[in-house]
Amino acid sequence: MMKKVYEKVNETLYSEVLPNGLTVYLLPKPDFHKTYGLFTTDYGSIDNRFIPLGEKEFITVPDGIAHFLEHKMFEKETGDVFQDFGKQGASANAFTSFTKTSYLFSATDNIDLNVATLLDFVQAPYFTAESVNKEKGIIGQEIQMYQDDPNWRQFFGIINNLYPQHPLHIDIAGTVESIAEITAEDLYTCYNTFYHPSNMKLFVVGNIEPESMMTLIKENQASKDFLLPQPIQRAFPAETLTDIKKVDSLEMPVARAKGVLGIKVLTNQLPTDNTELLRFKTAASLLWQLLLGTTSKNYLRLYDEGIIDDTFGYEFNLDRTFCFADFGGDSDKPAELTKAVKEILLNYGEDTEINETNLTLLKKRMLGKFFQSLNSLEYIANQFNQNLFGELTLFDLPEIIQSITLADIYSCGDQMIDEAAMSEFFMYPKGE
Amino acid sequence: MSIELGNGINLEVMPSKKYKTTRILIRFSARHSEKTAAARTLLTSLLETNSLNYPTQNELSTRLAELYGAGFGVSVAKKGNIHQINVGMSLVNGAYVGEDHLFDDAVAFLQEILFAPNIKAGAFDEKTFVTEKENLIAYLKSMKEDKQTFASLRLQELFFQNSPDQKVPSFGTVPTTEDLTAEKLVAVYQQMMTEDHIDIFVIGDVTPEQVRKSFAQLPFEKTARAKPEIFFTQKHSNIINEQVEYDQVTQAKLNLAYQMETYYGDTDRFALLVFNGLFGGFPHSKLFMNVREKESLAYYASSSFDSFRGMLKVQTGIDQEKRAAVLHLINEQLESLRKGEISTEELAQTKAMLKNQFLLSLDNPQALIENAYLDLWLPQTKVSEEAFLKGIDAVTIEAVKKMALSVELKAIYCLERSAS
Repeated sequence: MMKKVYEKVNETLYSEVLPNGLTVYLLPKPDFHKTYGLFTTDYGSIDNRFIPLGEKEFITVPDGIAHFLEHKMFEKETGDVFQDFGKQGASANAFTSFTKTSYLFSATDNIDLNVATLLDFVQAPYFTAESVNKEKGIIGQEIQMYQDDPNWRQFFGIINNLYPQHPLHIDIAGTVESIAEITAEDLYTCYNTFYHPSNMKLFVVGNIEPESMMTLIKENQASKDFLLPQPIQRAFPAETLTDIKKVDSLEMPVARAKGVLGIKVLTNQLPTDNTELLRFKTAASLLWQLLLGTTSKNYLRLYDEGIIDDTFGYEFNLDRTFCFADFGGDSDKPAELTKAVKEILLNYGEDTEINETNLTLLKKRMLGKFFQSLNSLEYIANQFNQNLFGELTLFDLPEIIQSITLADIYSCGDQMIDEAAMSEFFMYPKGE
Repeated sequence: MSIELGNGINLEVMPSKKYKTTRILIRFSARHSEKTAAARTLLTSLLETNSLNYPTQNELSTRLAELYGAGFGVSVAKKGNIHQINVGMSLVNGAYVGEDHLFDDAVAFLQEILFAPNIKAGAFDEKTFVTEKENLIAYLKSMKEDKQTFASLRLQELFFQNSPDQKVPSFGTVPTTEDLTAEKLVAVYQQMMTEDHIDIFVIGDVTPEQVRKSFAQLPFEKTARAKPEIFFTQKHSNIINEQVEYDQVTQAKLNLAYQMETYYGDTDRFALLVFNGLFGGFPHSKLFMNVREKESLAYYASSSFDSFRGMLKVQTGIDQEKRAAVLHLINEQLESLRKGEISTEELAQTKAMLKNQFLLSLDNPQALIENAYLDLWLPQTKVSEEAFLKGIDAVTIEAVKKMALSVELKAIYCLERSAS
């Protein structure tokens, strides 16, 4: 077991890669009542085309299957796993993102038992035609609930413009039609390919004793048989800027219109070295804050002109196979909003907001926010299970933040900001 | 540790080395009313946006960035009859960034926000006022976009239809926002500063003496401060109010409200917790298992209660064609509890989940602050951790049955898409 002390953040992390390939992280937090376990596979909604384990040809599976599989993992021949956790005093849940599926519990008692339950239920698939069909009703309701959410529709609106080919544009839960096609056999195919321990991570944080916890996990894993790991082959469409849909819109019953500007970053332009990639990500965040954050004059001007209100915000997503930023919010003048943001981004080279003083200030803010985020055991676990940066972890962030210079900011802007990579999406109020 | 800073001004310091942050909350409590909710909400927007010495958002944001990205917000909330204005701040423990004076700087910032708002010549800065009022109206109108919240607010209106105050949410309504002016808001501000009861909470790696010193210098006026009654009770009537409303929704929202007799601090509050857990509070509850899992009629089906206003709520997201079936099924689940159809396993599981939930909440600074607030306002209801856990353990099936029998359906609200 590896032990690493991060003095600056006052944390000690234990980790080990088990013989079956599973990566385990343990973070003791003796002051807390809570223990949180997160078991994650590197498999999400975008992984819809791949070579199944033990086969040779690519297959395409129905949209929404990773999320469907997540739902079905809780049901066993003997009943519902939620109930097992409940009897052990734990609450359990799961979530599916574009690239990951995670299962979790939080508990204050019976920790060993709950960790074993988490491992066991995720590693024992049980799907039948009957139970698969029953789930279609529940997930159908879930899909429809999101269809009524303007912010969700807005988010997928801009993604759809930026990534019309890439499966990123598909709703994580799929559609009522696509999930209708899912069979128990499909679920087993996906499960066997992506739920191999070598494609998974377990993070346990909270009131735990690391030595005995690691022993328990090792024994649990040694008692199970897995095939030898094989590299997973996924297929994604070639990425270009020419396929971007420059503008689109939608009408929904909203009070104020919404405007969003998106910018796509081709992943072949990103650094390949882990430290450089994490620095790039950090620098990109700082660049957006410098140009459009609440401390910037640009923000104040747009706010005072009534072009943005305090719903204005931006997101930067860098993940397996994709990288994009989107800027937007509610506005009575949505076209002016995207136009203004576009101008600010395209003229970043001359923007006086990018200067040494502002960068120092925003690094200070970022550092403080980083420490504040460490109160959340869930956040820590989630960040660790992301693992985009090789050996680097969340706890290396303070040093990365400190190392960012103005030169990094400009080089980041040069790599990302390109009019050809931009797109706009609008949502207009619909009369009732 | 409680320290009285003045008449109606309490300071509660909760030292803890567990967190990497210090959380400060200054809570102003007044009586909630239909007439003042919107004004107090707009006031929070104005206090949060800028101040006399930080006259733009940029300057205020920059100050927060200098305080290592301190989180700051002014918001409103409601508890029973009480309307709260919450001025909250979260800052990194100065030791992590080598800044000893960070806490004192944060208190100085709060002093600026509270004692030096952007008021000149008897009115809030006109430009800020106009923008914030417009934004608040847009926000209130946009409440409709979140269908779950919207349906929940409409259910509240239906359930409290005879109480003009309780019908209105903490953030007020569009009509009561519209006639506010930059001058009127100054009076609202002054009233809050001089008449509201004030509770200040600090949780983090601090000492009571250090915190007392920092806060004692805030120039609060020595005035008589009101402490309204928290609990709201309404008269019983035999009528069940039903309402169906139409909107452009894909998924219908069916919500029910029941009147309860049990209030926070009553001896049977533990039975209420267990009853709610069994009814719709957890994934093993009757509602979740039967409405969602067995019949696939809903994506969510849950219950929750407000023990300051005697209201139990059921919320579901359903296919609108199935409204009658869902309604019937919800009623069946309550009937089943009224008959005491509860296995010892279900009961044990509910208790285990409630205890877990309670212990988890003790890790959360804001939850600790909320507990401390209630302990200050309702000292007679205070229970130790041990007594809480024992209280849960002692609940019998008979007590749950009694609780199930005591709730009465009073309102049914459904949001559907129009037939046209």
